[in-house]
Amino acid sequence: MSAQLRITDLIKVYRGGTRALDGISLEITRGEFVVLIGLSGSGKSTLLRCINRLVEPTSGRVELDDIDVTAAGGGELRRIRRRIGMIFQQFNLVRRSTVFANVLAGRLGYRSVWRTLVFQPTHHDIDLAFENLQRVGILDKAYSRADALSGGQQQRVGIARALMQRPDVMLADEPVASLDPATSHSVMKYLEEINKKDGITVICSLHFLSLARRYGTRVIALKDGRVAFDGLPAEIDEARFKEIYGLDAVEVEIGVAKVRGEA
Amino acid sequence: MASYFRSRGLPVPRELSRNPLTDWQRWGTLAVTIAVLYVGVKVLDIDVSRANPQYAWGVVRKLLEWDFDIMTPQNEYETFWDTSPGLMLTTILLGVVATALSLLLALPLAFLGARNIMTGHPVTAVIYTFVRILFTIVRSIDVLIVVIVFAIIFGLGSAAGVFGLAFHNIGVLGKLYSEAIEGIDPGPGEAITATGANRVQVIWTAVLPQIFNPFVSFTIYRLDANVRLAPVLGFVGGGGIGQQLFQTIQLFQYQKAGLIIFMIVLVVATMDFASAQVRKKLS
Ligand SMILES: Nc1ncnc2c1ncn2[C@@H]1O[C@H](COP(=O)(O)OP(=O)(O)O)[C@@H](O)[C@H]1O
Ligand SMILES: [Mg+2]
Repeated sequence: MSAQLRITDLIKVYRGGTRALDGISLEITRGEFVVLIGLSGSGKSTLLRCINRLVEPTSGRVELDDIDVTAAGGGELRRIRRRIGMIFQQFNLVRRSTVFANVLAGRLGYRSVWRTLVFQPTHHDIDLAFENLQRVGILDKAYSRADALSGGQQQRVGIARALMQRPDVMLADEPVASLDPATSHSVMKYLEEINKKDGITVICSLHFLSLARRYGTRVIALKDGRVAFDGLPAEIDEARFKEIYGLDAVEVEIGVAKVRGEA
Repeated sequence: MASYFRSRGLPVPRELSRNPLTDWQRWGTLAVTIAVLYVGVKVLDIDVSRANPQYAWGVVRKLLEWDFDIMTPQNEYETFWDTSPGLMLTTILLGVVATALSLLLALPLAFLGARNIMTGHPVTAVIYTFVRILFTIVRSIDVLIVVIVFAIIFGLGSAAGVFGLAFHNIGVLGKLYSEAIEGIDPGPGEAITATGANRVQVIWTAVLPQIFNPFVSFTIYRLDANVRLAPVLGFVGGGGIGQQLFQTIQLFQYQKAGLIIFMIVLVVATMDFASAQVRKKLS
């Protein structure tokens, strides 16, 4: 099977000269659960944002199902973005809007500006919003303001919003870094579920190696904007760990045992 | 204190490096301030010898002996709109219309004057700079001066008041709105861009909900200020109750002036209270 996502020689130099990505080449197959790890500043966020062009790469190529994302502009870029969901460490919900409106916003890429301006979503979109809210277990919060929810609930709203796009790929930029361990797992479980049940490819950056081992089918480590490791989670031993995180690093565990209850 | 650090070869933290007793900058500032005040008092030649407390007391008493003639039409040519309540209403409406007019123009301009919306393209960056400079210039011209100029253009009356007040307000509201837009959390906009939405959809869905309350709050604050300013504009040709107040003072009709002043105070205090209440709800 050919690669769903192909990244070739991707370089990103920020204004000011920071070389955040220094020649990344990767092939990701449909259905993989890729975990990105690496020190803070290693380029994880930049790589994820170059895939949907929230950040403009300096050079190199990103292809989704052989369509050149890096060359797309205007309407074509927006049609590509529709197929790529994204969730964020800070959830990035419109805090004053209702949970429902936030989820519905995930559908904007499919709808005309006119419908947006007059607040007239289609019945189909409304059905879909309720469906996705139900799916992430917060149907009862549909009419609450987004900022009235706990962190874990807000991230689930983020997932529901991204699911509205019916994406083929889901990007997640440290989705659980602002959450406590138990809540982290409850959010990761939803990502695992959409990966396994819906066959959505997940590319997710994580801070904890234990989470990477638990959820990833493949781990890619970045170091100074380059791929420092690319392989199975089980292959990361003590030596590899120190290579990625530096000699002084000590691995910390994040509890998997008690993962139940409200997020 | 500083010697502790120096003797150990450490840099002295900024907060500890100054000694208020030997710091010549502080003493210098104090000396300059005193010198300026001294020269100011000399130059102004403040003279209280001509004050006439007895006469003033008489005026104050007249101001409190309200003449209610101004509350009703006094002859067949006068209508409600020539009475003080009518002119008061005119003046309030002048403030309201001026606020609405400035809002209409400041609103679109504010987006052009918001850095986070306009940076990216060199062309939009130039527009941004231009709009912000425009706001600053417009704002820096005092309302009274604008109304005097507009009274020359439009003649004495409400037109000068409305346009003068609105003009000044475009600068004030424009700046406040722009800063509110610049203060939004970029996260939601980024997230909605990632769903494939276009720019207009992103602004509508992610930016507007964030700026709606601050905008309403700023608008009410300016409405309050404009209604407060409107009576004063009559003194320089802006029409309304201010003009009537000016005339009564010129004619030494302090019994009428006193009642007008009371009405103005009442309106301003009510506005002040109402606007504070609404803005408290919004924050
Ligand atoms: N908008 C930006 N402008 C300039 N430099 C940036 C910007 N975003 C990130 N960087 C820099 O790029 C490098 C990679 O950052 P990032 O992709 O955020 O790494 P990570 O997500 O792994 O912490 C860092 O050195 C960071 O300081
Ligand atoms: Mg990051």
